[in-house]
Amino acid sequence: MANRITIDPITRIEGHLRIDVEVNNNAVSNAWASCTMWRGIENILRGRDPRDAWLFTQRFCGVCTTVHAMASVRSVEDALKLEVPLNAQYIRNLILIAHALHDHIVHFYQLSALDWVDILEIPKADPVATARLAESLSPWTRNSKTEFKAAQDRVKAVAASGQLGIFMNGYWGHPAMRLSPEVNLLAFTHYVQALAYQRKALQVVGILGGKTPHIQNLTVGGVSNAIDLDSTSALDMDKLEMIRVLLAEVVQFVNQVYFVDVCAVAAMYPEWFKIGKGVNNYMAVPDLPLDSAGSSYDLPGGTIMNGNIGGVHAFKTASDKDFRDGVSEDVAHAYYRGEKPLHPWVGETQPAFTGWDGDQKYTWVKAPRFNGQPMQVGPLAQVLIGYAQGHPLTRKYTGLAIETIGAVGHIQVTPGMLESTMGRHAARAIRAAMLAELAQKHLQLLIDNIAKGDYTVHNQPVFDGHEQEGVGTHEAPRGTLSHWVVVKDQKIKNYQAVVPSTWNASPRDRSGAHGPYEASLLHTPLARPEEPLEVLRTVHSFDPCMACACHTFDPSGRQIAKVKVL
Amino acid sequence: MKKVLIGGIGNVLLGDDGVGPYVARLLTAHYEFAEGVEVADLGTPALDLIDQISEKDAVILIDSVDVEAEPGTVLLYRKADIIRCRPAVRMDPHSPALVDALFSAELFGVAPADVLLVGIKAESYEAGCSLSKSVKASLDQAIREVLRELEGLSVEYRRRDYPAELGIWWATEEQMKSALAT
Repeated sequence: MANRITIDPITRIEGHLRIDVEVNNNAVSNAWASCTMWRGIENILRGRDPRDAWLFTQRFCGVCTTVHAMASVRSVEDALKLEVPLNAQYIRNLILIAHALHDHIVHFYQLSALDWVDILEIPKADPVATARLAESLSPWTRNSKTEFKAAQDRVKAVAASGQLGIFMNGYWGHPAMRLSPEVNLLAFTHYVQALAYQRKALQVVGILGGKTPHIQNLTVGGVSNAIDLDSTSALDMDKLEMIRVLLAEVVQFVNQVYFVDVCAVAAMYPEWFKIGKGVNNYMAVPDLPLDSAGSSYDLPGGTIMNGNIGGVHAFKTASDKDFRDGVSEDVAHAYYRGEKPLHPWVGETQPAFTGWDGDQKYTWVKAPRFNGQPMQVGPLAQVLIGYAQGHPLTRKYTGLAIETIGAVGHIQVTPGMLESTMGRHAARAIRAAMLAELAQKHLQLLIDNIAKGDYTVHNQPVFDGHEQEGVGTHEAPRGTLSHWVVVKDQKIKNYQAVVPSTWNASPRDRSGAHGPYEASLLHTPLARPEEPLEVLRTVHSFDPCMACACHTFDPSGRQIAKVKVL
Repeated sequence: MKKVLIGGIGNVLLGDDGVGPYVARLLTAHYEFAEGVEVADLGTPALDLIDQISEKDAVILIDSVDVEAEPGTVLLYRKADIIRCRPAVRMDPHSPALVDALFSAELFGVAPADVLLVGIKAESYEAGCSLSKSVKASLDQAIREVLRELEGLSVEYRRRDYPAELGIWWATEEQMKSALAT
């Protein structure tokens, strides 16, 4: 007999991801992903000056601030056919890379490591054995017995104080937790150390962007950074050197710690390469432009349909015609009025809430489709698409990950196995290693270009009275982000953001095809359905970001998730 | 020199949720602070809030709160009040994270010794860029609580003779004028 399980974090301000699964014989037999709130923030943009839009879109989400700012200026530049000077491209690229490195490190250590690491096992670990294990995996100099002992003492102190805080909701001692005490301690110690390197990545964003969390230096047509190698109030040699030093430390952490830890955890949970595949249509947009016109990029984009890696289709530009023509949004199962799927430039958003009904409407998320098909986006999509195109950097780090996981776990890993829950974590680490290498490259490109005497950072936007349509894309940490703008008389006529988590958290469309979260949960085995750790593992592997825009503090402590078994 | 962060939290696009950033900008426009004090519009941070609050001597946050109270009521919370709350299961890992961030900072040994949360009970979270009447009426009190905390910390501040640029770019011109008049 089937049981229904609902996982729904409760806060008075709704706006969270809710997952419903049907369980038969301890495995998921059906799934629904839904978001519990509609905000309609895009409507605030109508009638405003398109040059200001990025300031507003930067507030869509508290985590993905810079990515929405960047997609917004790119959308207006696309509408105006405005090129961006080289210096501005490099500065933007460096901000995007630093933000993504921060985001990927945070995702693994702060947000998903505790799905795999059992805090209660840590006090049992032997710090000397942990150090020996760590030294066999990586040259990281902070893998010492002293560091492991200190981290272990912190956990013991927290356990003794009874104030478990963030650890209160973990599924500790769950049968699906299987790391040795030493590996648990190793990962937890790096979780503590990660904090310092996350901050260094953000400092790079701050130096270039003026401020964090909201950067100040963007402008339609470029950036507003003054470049003057001899002025401390401008981007000078001292600041460029500071960025170089910070990046070097972040890069080392990514290569010697984050990448290695993901490979080690993956090697110890090999069955998770067989779980969580889901929708095997993949999409990524090209990013990190290398010229003013945006005709060549450091990260490739394209599509793979039905897992046919050999049949990869490439997007040539970040606003490729195939991409602009192919996107539509379907509201058959979302709480909106509407007959047929609509393109974002003519997108409508007319709310019509009817309550959760798995057969009818059940979410505030629209179902974006590419040529009518659901698409999985994110680091896995980007890695598979790059790998399929023979992109050297993708091949290099995918190869290294496969080799490392194989060596630690004594298992044979293939690129096809990345299409899984663990594969999404591995792909994120692969992407981080690629970005780490590109960070240093783009800093050098910037320095070399300035050294040639080019100080240009901005091209002036010119509006005419015509109606102009533009799409601005960014391959964000969570996948393909696109902002769609219609401009008339220097005012915004329509604005739609199709965000990565909309692609992945998409509901069924009118043909009944599941979205990626939903499809990835099917057939997942559950050791204890009343403690659905396995469901969280797969959902977290996508790095969801639903509605972080509203941020009220609830001091009553009512923020507990409801796990309901019906 | 004490390192103090005064941070406004909230989304300026969602009505009264923008009260934190609003207060932060009013403070910057009307007051000068001792060296070491940083006033910031933090937006809606998730766990990156750890980065913002760590290695400070004191942190004063201004945020809208969800309690049974009249809209516009100003309520104060200390570190222990915040940490005591049970955080949410991380379904969507970017959910609001004040509790998690403070707990993590404690765990890592980088948490500020003094924490004050100045909470303002909101009236409306409808999408839009202005504050409701009741929340507007509480702005002065919220500012007074921040200043009183600085006095308790023996951190100096001074009211400017002429207000600096307000920088509330999300508001209309009329809203800016009335805010500067306060």
